[in-house]
Amino acid sequence: MKAEIQALLAALEAEGYVTEPATATAVFLSREMRKPLLVEGDAGVGKTELAKVLARLLGTELIRLQCYEGLDVQTALYEWDYPRQLLRLRLSEGRGEDPQQIEARIFSREYLLERPLLRAITRPDQPPVLLIDEVDRADDGFEAFLLELLSDLQVTIPELGTIRAAHPPYVVLTSNRTRELGDALRRRCLYLYIDHPSLEKEVRIIRTRWPEAEERLARQVGRFLQALRARPLVKSPGVAETLDWTQALVTLRQGSLEPEVVTQTLGCLLKDRHDLETITPSEVASLVALAREESP
Amino acid sequence: MTDLPLRLARLGRALRSAGVATTLRDELDAAAALALVDREDREEVRRAVRIALRIAREDFETYDRLFEGFWHGEPEAAPVAPRPRREPPVLPRGRALHWDPDTRRMGTESRVSPRGERPGYSPEALLRRKRFDEDWSARDLARMERLLARLARRLATRRSRRLVPTRGRGRADVRSSYRRALRTSGELLSLARRTRAVETPRVVFLLDTSGSMDAHGRFLLTFALSLRRAVPRAEVFAFNTELVRLTRSLAPGKVRVTLDRLAASVPDWSGGTRIGACLAEFYAEHLARGPAGKTVVVVLSDGLDRGDAAALAEAVRRIQGRARKLVWLNPLLGDPRYEPAAGGMRAALPFVDHFASAHDLESLERLGPHLAG
Repeated sequence: MKAEIQALLAALEAEGYVTEPATATAVFLSREMRKPLLVEGDAGVGKTELAKVLARLLGTELIRLQCYEGLDVQTALYEWDYPRQLLRLRLSEGRGEDPQQIEARIFSREYLLERPLLRAITRPDQPPVLLIDEVDRADDGFEAFLLELLSDLQVTIPELGTIRAAHPPYVVLTSNRTRELGDALRRRCLYLYIDHPSLEKEVRIIRTRWPEAEERLARQVGRFLQALRARPLVKSPGVAETLDWTQALVTLRQGSLEPEVVTQTLGCLLKDRHDLETITPSEVASLVALAREESP
Repeated sequence: MTDLPLRLARLGRALRSAGVATTLRDELDAAAALALVDREDREEVRRAVRIALRIAREDFETYDRLFEGFWHGEPEAAPVAPRPRREPPVLPRGRALHWDPDTRRMGTESRVSPRGERPGYSPEALLRRKRFDEDWSARDLARMERLLARLARRLATRRSRRLVPTRGRGRADVRSSYRRALRTSGELLSLARRTRAVETPRVVFLLDTSGSMDAHGRFLLTFALSLRRAVPRAEVFAFNTELVRLTRSLAPGKVRVTLDRLAASVPDWSGGTRIGACLAEFYAEHLARGPAGKTVVVVLSDGLDRGDAAALAEAVRRIQGRARKLVWLNPLLGDPRYEPAAGGMRAALPFVDHFASAHDLESLERLGPHLAG
């Protein structure tokens, strides 16, 4: 493995993000090739977290744009501060100023409200990390706009002219695949798929994030989760759920898995009525027995 | 690796012939990525090329297999069978479903029924409550088809969360109003308004064409076809022992012609309805490949399944998990004595978002809010 990728993997882990070499490789390539990184994977595998950790690692600002259906350019890119413009207009008119000067003034950067996308390309000092979260939730029209922005890294504001990125940001897009992304956007990015972690990884993640959890408990939780994910579930629990559950178990001062406690806290892991019905107390008992095997 | 460009080009070609889309640009990116990583480390090369070629999760296996050839520099990767593209299969013609011009029904055999012509004029209200499995005069049928088409158009629109400017009524848009006021030197003369955009939903119809359904089949199919004309993104499938995608074979045109064509392509039902297997296939081959949570799936079936009830329940559960909504229309529900006791229907019921009747136009009209949802 290339030394830089190795170092990146270690650095990610030092920031509390335990991951696979593929993730480090993808981040490294995205940084070196200056291409946005599209991250896909089930909910709760740490897609958003990756961008956050990356920003911490680079010592730069994280600018986040949460996508949703109906997201428009005014919320994502920029907007004029109309109330202030009106106020300025009234004041200047009262003083009898030159109309052309007034216009130039109220359509200056001073009256421009920067939204995440514009802010991401106008940072003067260093490139930020731009996280475009759940891009699949925005509509197709917004996706097309995003594509244009990502390829040109410039924005044209009719009243102001074209603003070019001083420092191209590091771009991370995440998608839960609620909608298939357009091919053009996909091709613009490098692609990383984050899977559920292996047992070893998961135990290390638990130990890193909840050092209070005893080694034995962490191993049992890991084994329990691996076994649980093998079941046919509507919503497989992700790492986020594992950590929530570990926190619950630590709060309840559990040193190892007990069927009753597991049953009572199953809501931390399973967030679907049907799944909760599928995993009956007797299922829990057998899963717990499986998880406790091999550990003293 | 001196012959890297050649090897990458071969890999790209092998991937494409295996049904994994890669472009020249991806290959260029892969070359750029390889310049950045440790080319002695096989695993690292595998990961880097995968990331740069944008291989999606479902193609990882194919990629891993073809990567071997790339790594060893094999002159030409073994040809891989392309991912089968599903076409409506050429089916054995047994007792094929056919359109009977006498009874104006789809059926497996000519059903001669006493044709009690109704008086020429039949008001709309009566038509709306007339059961699909009653006898229909030619004139009523034509009127009914027009009504169904109108209903389909009305159902075909959905209000999105996106707000678009409107000249009519809507929410006041302060931002645009201010902007307009700037033109009149800050005088707020009129309010700009926005309203929710109209969107067409993604609807999939799954029509049970088994014998027990054929009395209703014609109307439900007419309805589905009309909706298909109004909503370009609607898909229509037919199933009984096999699942057949009808969307492509449905040219916009008269229902009559389409029905005849359908009769030729939909397989025979003599083996009994296999709802569970057909729904499972629909899930795996179509729904799972499309985006999740966007599609309204409408199943038109009486739920009389000859297959395994547990398999049906599992298929329905999966479909519901991926669809925006699962609507099950059961014509039998129009009969007040009916209880969903058929094994299959009962198994499927917990996973159905909306279970309703479809025995007359009125019942179809009530479907509106659920389709739009």
